[in-house]
This record gives sequence, C-alpha cells and structure tokens, in this order.
Amino acid sequence: MNKAYRFIKARDNVMRGIFLFCAVFSVMALGCICVFLFAEGLPFIGKVGPANFFGTTWHLDSAAYGILSMIVASLYVTALSTAIGVTAGLFTAISLYKFCPPKAVPPIRQMINLLAGIPSVIFGLFGLIIIVPFLRDVISPNGMGYGILAASLVLSVMILPTIVSVSLDALNAVPKNYFEGAIALGATKEQSVFKVMLPAAKSGVLAAVVLSIGRAIGETMAVIMVIGNSPVMPTSLFQSVRTMTANIALGATELSGDAATALVATGVVLFFFTLLLNLSISLLRGGGGRERKGA
Amino acid sequence: MKKPLVLISLLLVLALALTACSASFDPAKNISVVAREDGSGTKTAFMELIGLRGKADPRHVVTQNGVAGVLAEVKGNPHAVAYESLGYVTKDVKALKVNGVEASVANIKNGTYQIARPLSVVYKESTLSNSLYNAFLTFLKSSNAQNIINDEGYVSVVDNAAAYTINSSLSGTIEISGSTSLQPLMGELASAFKKLQPNVTINVAGGGSGTGYNNAENGVSQFGMISEVFGQARAASCTHYIVAQDGIAVIVNKKNPLDNITMDQLKNIYDVDAGASAILKWDALVK
Repeated sequence: MNKAYRFIKARDNVMRGIFLFCAVFSVMALGCICVFLFAEGLPFIGKVGPANFFGTTWHLDSAAYGILSMIVASLYVTALSTAIGVTAGLFTAISLYKFCPPKAVPPIRQMINLLAGIPSVIFGLFGLIIIVPFLRDVISPNGMGYGILAASLVLSVMILPTIVSVSLDALNAVPKNYFEGAIALGATKEQSVFKVMLPAAKSGVLAAVVLSIGRAIGETMAVIMVIGNSPVMPTSLFQSVRTMTANIALGATELSGDAATALVATGVVLFFFTLLLNLSISLLRGGGGRERKGA
Repeated sequence: MKKPLVLISLLLVLALALTACSASFDPAKNISVVAREDGSGTKTAFMELIGLRGKADPRHVVTQNGVAGVLAEVKGNPHAVAYESLGYVTKDVKALKVNGVEASVANIKNGTYQIARPLSVVYKESTLSNSLYNAFLTFLKSSNAQNIINDEGYVSVVDNAAAYTINSSLSGTIEISGSTSLQPLMGELASAFKKLQPNVTINVAGGGSGTGYNNAENGVSQFGMISEVFGQARAASCTHYIVAQDGIAVIVNKKNPLDNITMDQLKNIYDVDAGASAILKWDALVK
C-alpha cells in the first residue's frame, strides 16, 4: 500500500518535472528570440541612425537601410487584405449561421478549414500563375500585375478560414433566445441576424479580425511571390513594392555583415507590430468576458 | 434558381482565364523588368558586366528570388525581360543575341559573347610540386569536375576531359579563398574532391577577387579565386587556370519578336540613373 503510494507520488513528480520543462522551454524559446532580435537589431538601428533606418532608400551598396517604404507597404497590404477578407469571411459566416441549408453547413465548413491547411507557398504559386497574369492582362492600367492588389487578393483568401471559423463560433455562442425574441417581436430573419445576433457576437468577430491581421502582416512566402519586391514607396496598387517580411526572407540566405543585421532590425520592427496586435487581442478578450458576464 | 447562377459564374471565370492566357505581345506596353534579389551572384555578375556595378535596381523592377521564379515570370509575361545563368535557360523562354552574338556555349568559349566572364583560380607554379595541390588542379580539369560545372549552370571550358584517378596516398589540407562568385561552385567541387580523397580537407573561404589575388601571392591560400580576366600585375608571381565560364543570358517571352539587344540598350533598361535615355517601352527596341 505504502509502496504503491510512493510509486504514484514519484511518478507524479516526474511528470510534473516534464510539464514544467515544457512550459519553461516555450518561455525560453520566446526569451531567446527576443534577446537575439534586440541584441542584434537595436544596436544596429543606433549605429546607422534612426534617420537612415526609417528612411525611404534601401540600397545595400551605399549603406542605405531605409525600411519606411516596406513598413508602409506592409500596412497597405494588411489593411486591404483584411478589408477584402473580413467582408467576404463575415458574410460567409453569417450565411453558414442562418441562411444556408443546414445539411450544406458541415461540408462547407470542412472545406473552408481545409483552406487553412494549404501551405502558403501553394497560395503564392496560385497567385503567381493565375492572379498576377490576370491582373496584368485584364485589370491593370499599366501592364503590371505584381503589387499590393495581387498580394491582398492572395492574402484575403488565406485569412478567410480564420475569420469564418472564429466569427461563426462567436455567432453560435450567442444564446438562441436572442434570435427567437427578435423574431417574436416581429423582426425578419435578416433583421434579427444583422441587428441582434451580430452585435451580440461583436467581440468574437473583432477577435477574428485581429487574428487575421496578424496572419496577414506576418505572411511571407505567398507575398514574396506576388508583390514584386522592389523597395520603393507604394504609390499605386499595381506597383512592385516590398513588405518587411519579404525583405527579411529575400536576403536571409544571401546577405552577410551589416546587410544581414539590417534584416534582424527589420524583424524588430515587425516584432513591435505583432506585439501591438497581441496586446489588442488580449484587450478584446478581456472586454468580451465582461460583456458576457453583464448579459 | 441557383443552377443558372453557378453556370454563369463558372463561364465568367472561364472567360477571364482565357483572356488572361491569350495575352499577346504589344510594343506599346511597358517593359516588365525582372531582376534577382540582392546578394545573388547572378545579379552581381550581370550588373557588373553591363557596367552598372553596385547600382540599385530601377524602381519598377520585379524581384524574383530564384531561377524558377524568373523563368516562370518570363514564360508567362509577354512583356518581361530578365537575366539568368545560361545553364538554367529552358526552351520555354527565348534568349536574345547580345550585340548580334548568340548566347551559346561556343560563343562564350571563344569570347565573343559579352555577358560572360571567366571564373579562375590563381596559384604559384611552385605550388604544383606538392602532389596534393597538383592532384586538385588535375581534378579541376577532369571530367568529374566538368560534369559538376555543367550541372551547376556554368560553362565548362575543357573538352574531352579525362576522369580523375584516385591516389589513395593523398592527405592534407588545401586552402582556397577569394571571389564569392566562384565560391559556391568551388564548394561543390571541393566536396566532390573530398568524396574521392577522404583524407583531404579543403577550406573554401570568400573575401572577393582581390583577396584571391593577395592570398595566392602571399601564400596564405594555395589557390586564390577570381571572377575576372586574370591580371598578371595583381599577382606577379602567379599563374592562373580558368575553372569555368559564367555566362548570363538575357531572356524574353517567346511571343516577343525581338531577337537582338545591344549592350547599350540593356544598360538603359537596367540603369536606375538612365534618366531621359531610359528604355521603358518595347517600341524603343522593336520597330
């Protein structure tokens, strides 16, 4: 009896140690990445000067490491792809919620989730072979298919699964009697969904938006293949520009010395944007919790 | 009710796809200038050979990070122009003549094709009295090395090369340094040599062609790598051996009627500072 108890206790301790190690491991990984980014990147920004680093010229041979054009391009691409993706994704979620034949919902959800599993390089290839030539030959006024629009279209498809599944879950979490109550008060189905259910699911939908912004700003491979990668300030939707992630990936295996450190410093800026997004997610989550308790 | 809608949207997609595929060449359109990423050896060599060493790309250039991306773009875009190592050019694209000379292995070997440069090793004659160093140079001239050179997209310069014969008594270390343009190929050649001669260690370092001359002259390295025509003045006591030629083809889409391009035209396409003489549209080249 005593022996068995001691064995169980020892096993518990071993497992506790393993779990603790796992938890510490992920924290340590984060710590290492942070230390690497800041120890390499921040001194570099200090060395070349913020005026150079946040300038508009990126030309390695003349030691110009300005990434402002890339920050702007990243923001444009993220904003446009989120606008397209959220519009399409939210309406998809609403349609799956109440307007789609119930039998069709599981297969459609499955297919949208499958979309999330497709590697980003496949999306990039799709963009390169279908979207870029199409934009170039049919839509573009200047014969340039690469650019912000092409990247945004590809990214908007990539963020669809996030938006659809998170906002559909948010809608499903709203108590059914809200809908029934609205119908009983004489509202149509459309009115009840758009004016009652959707506002009630607001915090979940907002979380979906923030999550997809995170995906859009961090996506690299698909963007490299369709955006053209010229480090210039964006002035048009059909113009070869470069995002921060593309800048890092393009040079990572080829550059050395200061140029390679400039990529790490680009990573620091990207890290700040991601941090900002994560903070806003936790703020939204906190807000959502309070709302539900009140209701 | 829903079927016609689906049918219409399918037809629409099909029509759009067809219009996208059937795009033809229009001289009034802008030239889609394609370049490789910063740090690419092909890009550095190309810009240097057309006289734009160290310059930035023009603003409107599309950067592809790899051979496959460049080829896919030129294959699909009737208005694209790009450069790529001759060994990687496929039948899906058209290589232009430069100043009237076809981009071919023969023309690179006889020196008439201009966008090419020799990749050489420089060494002292006395180095070859060492059997290990002599064996490595013999290996560079062997069919084993020529196959690697061709596989890596370079132009081999030795015809009817003999196979390398393994000498099991060889051991020691070979130091090689210099041009970063030859470094990747030399790395491949060195690892192939190590497979044949397992007791040999080869260190291949970069540093640039200048380093290659100096290290060979000062005896720091047994072989210095250079990516330019050998200048005797830069390493007075050394001689050289051309390992391979690096030929770069200028490629366009197959629908493009252009056959020939001059070095000046090429420069005005890729020069960011060309100003008024910049060539932006195909009608400047295609009459």
